[in-house]
Amino acid sequence: MYQYTSFDRQFVHQRAAQFRDQLTRNLAGELADDDFRPLRLQNGWYIQRHAPMLRVAVPYGELSSRQLRQLARIAREFDRGFGHFTTRQNLQYNWIPLPKSADVMDLLAEVDMHGIQTSGNCIRNITSDAFAGIAPDEIVDPRPYCEILRQWSTLHPEFAFLPRKFKIAVSGAVEDRAAIAWHDVGLQLLKNDAGEVGFKVYVGGGMGRTPVIGTVTNAFVPWQEILIYLEAVVRVYNRYGRRDNAYKARIKILVKAEGQKFVDAVNTEFTKILEQDVDGREHIIPVSELERVSRHFQDPNGVHPATNSFDPNRTGPAPAAFLRWLERNVHGHRVPGYRAVTLSLKRAGQAPGDATSEQMEAAAQLADRYSLGELRVSHDQNLVLPWVREADLFSVWHAAKEASFATPNIGLLTDMIACPGGDFCALANARSIPVAASITERFDDLDALYDIGDIDLHMSGCMNSCGHHHTGHIGILGVDKDGAEWYQISVAGSDGSTLSGAAVPGKVIGPSFSADEVPDVIEALIDVYLRERQAGEHFIDTARRLGVPTFRAAADAVRRDTAAPAAPKAAAVTEAVEAV
Amino acid sequence: MSAHLDIKFVQAAQDPWRASVGEFGPLPIPPIASHSLLTLEQWQAVRDQWPSGLAVGLTLANTAEVEELAEDLSRIDLVALQFPKWIDGRAYSQARVLRARLRYAGEVRATGDVVVDMLPLLQRTGFDAVQLRDGQNEDSARRQLSIVSEHYQGDVHVTRPLFSRVPA
Repeated sequence: MYQYTSFDRQFVHQRAAQFRDQLTRNLAGELADDDFRPLRLQNGWYIQRHAPMLRVAVPYGELSSRQLRQLARIAREFDRGFGHFTTRQNLQYNWIPLPKSADVMDLLAEVDMHGIQTSGNCIRNITSDAFAGIAPDEIVDPRPYCEILRQWSTLHPEFAFLPRKFKIAVSGAVEDRAAIAWHDVGLQLLKNDAGEVGFKVYVGGGMGRTPVIGTVTNAFVPWQEILIYLEAVVRVYNRYGRRDNAYKARIKILVKAEGQKFVDAVNTEFTKILEQDVDGREHIIPVSELERVSRHFQDPNGVHPATNSFDPNRTGPAPAAFLRWLERNVHGHRVPGYRAVTLSLKRAGQAPGDATSEQMEAAAQLADRYSLGELRVSHDQNLVLPWVREADLFSVWHAAKEASFATPNIGLLTDMIACPGGDFCALANARSIPVAASITERFDDLDALYDIGDIDLHMSGCMNSCGHHHTGHIGILGVDKDGAEWYQISVAGSDGSTLSGAAVPGKVIGPSFSADEVPDVIEALIDVYLRERQAGEHFIDTARRLGVPTFRAAADAVRRDTAAPAAPKAAAVTEAVEAV
Repeated sequence: MSAHLDIKFVQAAQDPWRASVGEFGPLPIPPIASHSLLTLEQWQAVRDQWPSGLAVGLTLANTAEVEELAEDLSRIDLVALQFPKWIDGRAYSQARVLRARLRYAGEVRATGDVVVDMLPLLQRTGFDAVQLRDGQNEDSARRQLSIVSEHYQGDVHVTRPLFSRVPA
């Protein structure tokens, strides 16, 4: 993984000093709260329901055991002993008092971490495939490019105050595990017929109130020119994106409104940068720089490919539970003799994506012992051990069980994505955590879960869509009506993966439900699938084939609180402006 | 490209530049006077008569297309760009284009809701003068220029990104 240079280290420490300067002025009354707000946001500090929330950047999801231990320490000493991993591969704390914030930034800087651009109307922390560099279906390792993009976008002077937040996701594999079409910019690495590496560029995807799939604005930008192309995209957005209405300020609205004119403007700007700007060619990436950064992403010392193919039953029949874990939580690897192991953060009694200090330390220890000290944070809010020897799998399974990471549910219904919701988030219209808990409780039978099979259940506490409800095969959206919490349910959304099909937002199946009704509704939708499925169909296939009416009828049949005649109209969907 | 590493802090009382405004806003035909700070419309009204060598400045909305001024820039001594709200970052792009694309060498001034913490961004995109919002602390503003000493990406002064500055 990327190792900080002395420059990187100095930079992060200076950024921490800059934040301390801002905080000091704020606490002294020189910097008004309103003016401090955009500054602290760009360091990851929100003011939330109980205290500030701190979002720590995990660049493209790569984390070392040393960093995770420091995150555990911060959770223990400054928070209430836990953190929350997000769909954007970051980590959030919820209870750190603002006056302590500068101290926390210093502790993060000690392990080459920070909260730079994890919030605010700037280019956010770049996300990627949790299996980058190890996936068997990889075309090009995206991590060196992600790192170059990270450096380019960090404290970019022109693009710090865009109309709205700006998220870039990069995939380098056949399978899109980064939901790139749902981002402001999605970059798909590929090779052309001549074997040259470049990017297929999607612009203007996004969730929120107006879900939009990104438009391909360029089918092949040579990798050397990607920073120039992005400069053109972001400059056009900075100049012409709407600023009169925060709901219409994302680049997706500009791309939709302008269509081909947007693409033409980007192409014109791109040409002008290269041909007219005095320094226009300076950001063409030299081969030497790609090579320098790529050296950071060579396989770590200690990787020794093995030829023996793994057989769990080699010394007699393996325990059924181990086989289940192998089936769901263990993934193929580029290097023979190795596997990637997902540590499930989806288990009864804890919110999806949450980890306590002790669990973070346990994961760090697992990484040290079995994964060369490296971990990944996945878009699905789990941790991944990227370098597990097949010979160690049985030991890892035992150790993971011990640490409560071995729920064999990856890709299944209880491996749901959920935001922190109204329990923590000041933007949320409704709570996510109790609803997630009630669903986990309802579907606690593993045999049933396995029978249901692969399914994406995604839940957001508000329209800001941090829980990616639009892309769920079943999506749950918290809405607010007259101060009460309601839940709108959709089916057949897709993040763009092979299983889910072309990226598309799910369709709402009717007026909102009460929190108590949600597990019944989910069960009713699942029952439709189990009853109607044809050979080989996953839930998403059946959902697409049958469409909304069948599911709507099944869901309506289990209404109690919202049954006619007192059923509320679809609750008003409100979207908080200062979105996450 | 000119190196404007120093930022000038403009004090309204000592500033020689004057807008040409009357009772009803900008005068449609501004008088020809040194250090007039004109709107785009005013400049278009007088540009053909404006004597060469007589100091003139333009104040541009942050929606103005600075590239349309390419031919006039050599006659313009000052371009005042506007921040109606300090979190509205459009003028950074205007400044960048003025310097890097149009090679503008006159003063580029930040006006409007300009606050202390914008200083590094202003300097790096090519502003060389700022008129801070009332009540902002100039010492704090100067201090912001030296906290982060070096950056990854190039800017109008340090045009090379880090990867071209240090040996690979």
